[in-house]
Amino acid sequence: MIIFDDVSLSFGRHALFKNISLNLHGGQVIGITGANGAGKSTFLKLAGKIIRPDSGEVKLPAAKNIAAVSPEMKIYDNLTAEENLFFFAKLRGKTLSTENIFKLGGRVGLDFKTFGNVRAENFSTGMRQRLKFAILLSVDADIWLLDEPTANLDDDGRDKFFNEIQAAKSKKIILLATNDNAEEKICDEIIQLPL
Amino acid sequence: MKLFSSRFEQVTAIVRKDFLIGLRRRATFAAMMMFALTAVASLSLSTGGAFVEPKFLAALLWVVIFFAASAGIAGTFDDEATAGTLQTLKLYADAQAILFGKMIYVFLSLTVLTIFILPIFLILFDVVVERFFLLLATIFFGLIGIAAAGTLTAALTTSATVRGGLFPILLFPITLPIFLPAISLTEISLTGDAFDMSSLVIIATFDLILITASSILYDYL
Repeated sequence: MIIFDDVSLSFGRHALFKNISLNLHGGQVIGITGANGAGKSTFLKLAGKIIRPDSGEVKLPAAKNIAAVSPEMKIYDNLTAEENLFFFAKLRGKTLSTENIFKLGGRVGLDFKTFGNVRAENFSTGMRQRLKFAILLSVDADIWLLDEPTANLDDDGRDKFFNEIQAAKSKKIILLATNDNAEEKICDEIIQLPL
Repeated sequence: MKLFSSRFEQVTAIVRKDFLIGLRRRATFAAMMMFALTAVASLSLSTGGAFVEPKFLAALLWVVIFFAASAGIAGTFDDEATAGTLQTLKLYADAQAILFGKMIYVFLSLTVLTIFILPIFLILFDVVVERFFLLLATIFFGLIGIAAAGTLTAALTTSATVRGGLFPILLFPITLPIFLPAISLTEISLTGDAFDMSSLVIIATFDLILITASSILYDYL
């Protein structure tokens, strides 16, 4: 469970969140929706302790193991797809075999036999998105922070993403910031942020 | 023990990744090497083979290392922040592992720079080193200090709007307590005069202080 305890955050004079207290339970997909500028991405960053609130506290489960797919979370352009995947997995103490990498590639629809040695700078936005998703799956995170995760994916990519989310949600805390109808449909609970 | 091994793995992964990217981009290494080479070569040519005081040579060596380091270290965090990868790195890696990974990378980069520039410096200025191991020890501890101070300063200035100018301004006063004994010891290693271990102990102690302070401060950045 992620606990927001009286959390406030402002940017300049604009109070984005004021005294928010809520509990985000696992075993479901929690959608974070709201107009542009409502603070969906910022909410995810607070939940992942990537940024700190001005006041209040965000409490995470003892063993913090968070991964994210977000337009703001970039991968290394100068590393190949395989090097990116291997590096981030290593940061979480996981050593991936070639077989693991190919399997992950199959789950996200990225052919590592063909593209594994290609630098990420040559990837399309959709391929980068798939690579980020493969990284998320490789580290077996307990908390998934997804910010418009299927925004640049084709139908096959979206299906793969949704299938993985559905298969994993019973054992994870999944927060999904979105304004997309298809993404909202897979959410079990929606938190609407006011502007 | 598990935490230690996990952090150690993270640190080695970050060092390896930074070297891989550094070698592929080449710009940072090239800037450091070319600055050092240009400075040493032009100063050597301007003296025209005349005798140069060991004190001046010692200061010159550390000035070259300082500015070449400045050209390279500033981008340690800045390049990642500009590329948008710093946030990803912070999410996946432990903060202390990032700091120490970057610090070790900077230290190794400076070591490569010094291995490149020192023989050129000694040849161009026709210098004979009387106390070689003292020179190596001074450079070793001096580079640790520059790496620790430089990494912390780079982390501090990443979010500043005028970071390019701010970096050397902040780095110089922090590294001054290292430079003064380092210059003195380098001079002794060239002249072969008797030396006091206390100067080396001062540099090593200041290194330790810088590393500890960086470790404490980085969690608040």
